[in-house]
This record gives sequence, structure tokens and C-alpha cells, in this order.
Amino acid sequence: MTRPSALRRVRVADALVGYLFVSPLCVLVLGLVAYPLGNAVWISLTDKYVGYAPRFVGLANYAALARDPIFHKVVWNSAVFTLASVAVKVVLGMLMALALQRALVARSFLRAVLLVPWVIPTVITALTWHWMFNALWGLINVTLQGVGLQREPIAWLGQPATAMAAVITANVWRGFPFFGVSLLAGMQTIPRDLYEAAAVDGASPAQRFWHITLPGLRLVLLVTTLISLIFTLNDFNIVYVLTRGGPGTATHVLATYTYEIGFQALRWGKAVAVSMFLMPVIAVMIVIVTRYLTREE
Amino acid sequence: MAGRGVLAYGFIGLLLLVVGVPFYWMVNTSLKTSAQLQSLAPYYYPSPGTLGNYRALLGTTNFPIWIRNSALVAVGATLVTVLVSSLAGYSLTRIRYPGRRLLATTVLIVYLVPPTLLFIPLYTILKRADLVNSLWALLVAYPTFTVPFCTWLLMGFFRSIPRDLEEAAMVDGATRLGAFRRVILPLTTPGILAAALFAFTLAWNEFLYALVFVHDTELKTIPVGLNDLMFGDIFLWGQLMAAAVVTTLPVIVLYTYLQRYMVEGLTAGAVKG
Repeated sequence: MTRPSALRRVRVADALVGYLFVSPLCVLVLGLVAYPLGNAVWISLTDKYVGYAPRFVGLANYAALARDPIFHKVVWNSAVFTLASVAVKVVLGMLMALALQRALVARSFLRAVLLVPWVIPTVITALTWHWMFNALWGLINVTLQGVGLQREPIAWLGQPATAMAAVITANVWRGFPFFGVSLLAGMQTIPRDLYEAAAVDGASPAQRFWHITLPGLRLVLLVTTLISLIFTLNDFNIVYVLTRGGPGTATHVLATYTYEIGFQALRWGKAVAVSMFLMPVIAVMIVIVTRYLTREE
Repeated sequence: MAGRGVLAYGFIGLLLLVVGVPFYWMVNTSLKTSAQLQSLAPYYYPSPGTLGNYRALLGTTNFPIWIRNSALVAVGATLVTVLVSSLAGYSLTRIRYPGRRLLATTVLIVYLVPPTLLFIPLYTILKRADLVNSLWALLVAYPTFTVPFCTWLLMGFFRSIPRDLEEAAMVDGATRLGAFRRVILPLTTPGILAAALFAFTLAWNEFLYALVFVHDTELKTIPVGLNDLMFGDIFLWGQLMAAAVVTTLPVIVLYTYLQRYMVEGLTAGAVKG
């Protein structure tokens, strides 16, 4: 009779240690993430203006945004910026992973070097591209003119279409190595005999990629793409430093617009509503990522 | 086969060029005078090179103070993160109790919540605690993204250690804490190193919270300070690129020594792009 109860005591004591160890995390999550998120929902339902007490206004902020032509432009810009950036990152990352997979000499060294853009501060990345895109003395204009591809200097950051292309370029430069490294790791988990069997059957490299590599990478590809979509959709640093959302509103995205309304116009109710607008989309992506990443265990 | 090897290395060479050019341009610019920056002869390399930008940056701007602020915040956030994350990661993977699966899922969800959603309500909380416009604000805010990421990362590492090892220690009379300290922690050192490196890098690179929560120039971190320097009256590109080199260097040095652990951590399942 004593043994089971002793065992139970040990289990209970163990569980208590478990709760003790995880309690700092719980405090952090509840106090600094869950509570602020709930608070954000509340703020978006008020007319909170910095310095004044908030008044409940229901969905008025959302209704105002739905009629706001600048907001429409911002949503469109965010979609263009995010989808174009992520698409290019996926393709470049896939090519990088395939090339590294074939590179038998110095693979891990090359992988490490190619990952460097991803570890340096984003603001530095944006500053450097800002200078390279400089209209008069930037590397890009001077070089294009030098080799004769371009006659007049182009104000890359000063025109709507080229400004959008510029922020996408900087984002891709920073983000594609992440896809490359993740996809390479995914490729290394695909069993070799699949390729050998396919080679024996006379499958071409393209067929092997299509029928073995791509299905084998399905999970990694899905998860990395969704994570990248979430963070690119909410990118602030690159756009803010490169263009401040300009010229005009040509590159204004959700994050920069939220910041502008919140900390320049000081209208917090509306600002939070801007960032909340995409919450349903982000929530769906988060749920999918979470399901796939916790399913493996 | 050989042909495709050449193609692979050719493409890698192209990517190295794409990755390398901005870094070269940073260094090249930082070694030129303002007059040299607005001249075509020579344009692609500094001649003669000058360290004037570095001297001006360290001697006449607030850059040294920003370095100190960034270092304080990044080191502080790293310490907090490693402590909270290793305890939580261990608890969530090694001890059985009701609710732990839900908690583990929550960690992942929290990691994916973008800061854009949080910065205004967090500001309200920090304001109420009278922490706005101090480095403490950042020390409180940064764990909201470093801890979930590092906990998730460490859970992978803890899971890879055989259960028998600590069970053996506990049968031999070690307590849970003793087993954690003497058996598990030493085995997880690479994981903790990776977590510390990620936490430091994420904190060192952070921009939005630092921009919003801190106003005084003497309290700014490097990214925000540089952003100010850039949108001053004149674009001081020589100094800005010198600052870029100085800011990037510690990250690259750390990364060079520890990249093996970092890539291991990145590919262990917790990732961000």
C-alpha cells in the first residue's frame, strides 16, 4: 500500500516542479502578450486619442477604414509587397538549396556565408540598399550608366513602381537565405534510395525533382512559406527605413500605416484597427503552422 | 554529372556576388571622404582610403552611447531569455503534468504573433509602469519575442536527450533539480548557446519597439540612432556606412564562431523569415 502512494507523491511533486519551471513563461505570455492582444481588440473598438480617455465606438474605426481610400491602397501595397517578396524568396531559396545539395565541396561553409544577410540587423540592410539606390551617387545608377544600360540617373526610391521594386529587393536579399537553408535541411531528410531507384528507372533530373524532391519538401515548404508570409506581411523596418511609405503612399504597408496613425496622428483606436484588420488571415496561417509543427511529435 | 556540378557552383557564385556586393559597398563607402563619394574617379574602391568616418562617428556623434545601450539591452534580454526559456523548455518536454501540451502549442502561437499587433497596447502597459523612455522598457518588451522563439528552439534540444540519462540520475538519488543541473544542462550546452546567440541577435537587431518606446537620444539603440542620423539634414553616407560596418561586425564575429549551432537550431524547427 505504501508504494503506490509514495509513487503518487513523487508524481505530484514532479508536476509541481514542472509548473514552477514553466511559471515565468506563463507570466510573460499572459501579461505581455495575451493581455496586450485583448487590450488591442478593446482599443480598436474605441476612439482612443493619445491624452484623452477612450470612448467605446463599436466598429466605427473598422467602418471608417473600409471607406478610407488610403487604407485600400495600403492593403493593396501590403499584398503586392508580401506576395512578390515571398514568391521570389521561395524560388531563389529553392535554387540555392538545390545548388548547395549538388555542391559536395565546402557545402557547410557556403551555406554559412549565404546565410549572413539573414543575421545582420534589418535596419543596416535597409540603410545600405538606400545608399545603393541613391539617385546621384548610388552604386546601381552609376554602374548601370557606366555599362550603358541606362542613360539618365533613375530616382529609384522617388517613383512609385521602382520604390516598390526597391523595398521588395531589399526584403528578398535579406530573406531568401532562410528558405535556402530550411529547404536544404528538408532535402537532407529525403531517403537517398528514392533517388537511386528513380535513377535506375531512368527518371530525368526534372522528373526526380518533381516526383521526389518536391513532395518530400511539402511540409518544410508549407511551414517556411507561411512563417515568411506572416512576418513579411507585418514588415516594418525595410519599408520604413527605405521609403517611409512613400513616395506619397506608394509603398505604405500595414505596419508603417499603423505607426503613422498611432505615433504621428496619435489616433490609437484607428491605428490598432489597421493592424487588427489582418488578424483573421494571420490567425488562420498561425493555426496551420502550429498544427503542422506540433503534429510531427 | 560534372556539368551539373559546374552549374551548381556557378549559381552559388552568383548568389555569393549578390550577397557580397552590399557588404563590399558598405566597407568601400566607409573608407571614403564625402568628396570622394561624389566623384567617379575612382568610384569602385577607396583611393586613398581614410578612417576619418570611423573617427568622426566615434568622436563626434552619439554612436558610442548607442552601442552601449544596444549592448546593455541585448545582453540583459539574452540573460532573461536563456533563464526563462531553458526552464520552460525543460519543463514542457520532460515533466508530465496536465496542460503542458496546450502550453507548448501556446509558445509556438505567441512566437508567430507579429510585433505590429502588440506595440501600441505594450506601450500602454509600459506607460502605466512608468517605464517608457528608459532601457527597461526594451528589457521588458524584448522577451515577448525572444522567449517564445528560444523556448521552442530549446524544446527540440531537450527532446533529443535520452530520458534514461536523467532517470538513472534520479534513481541514484538526485532530485529533479539536481538531475536538471548536473545531467541535462551540460548536455544541452550547444542548444543553450544557440538560444543565447539568437536572443542576442534578435535583440541587437530590433527596431520597432526601440523606435516607439524610447525618445531621448542618449537612450537610443543603434538601429534607431542610425535612422535619426540618416534623416538629419545631410545624408552622411560615409559615417552611416562606417556605423553599418561597426554594427554588423559583432553579429558576424559571433556568427562565425557559432554558426554551426545556429544553423542546427534554425533547422531544428523553430524558424523565422
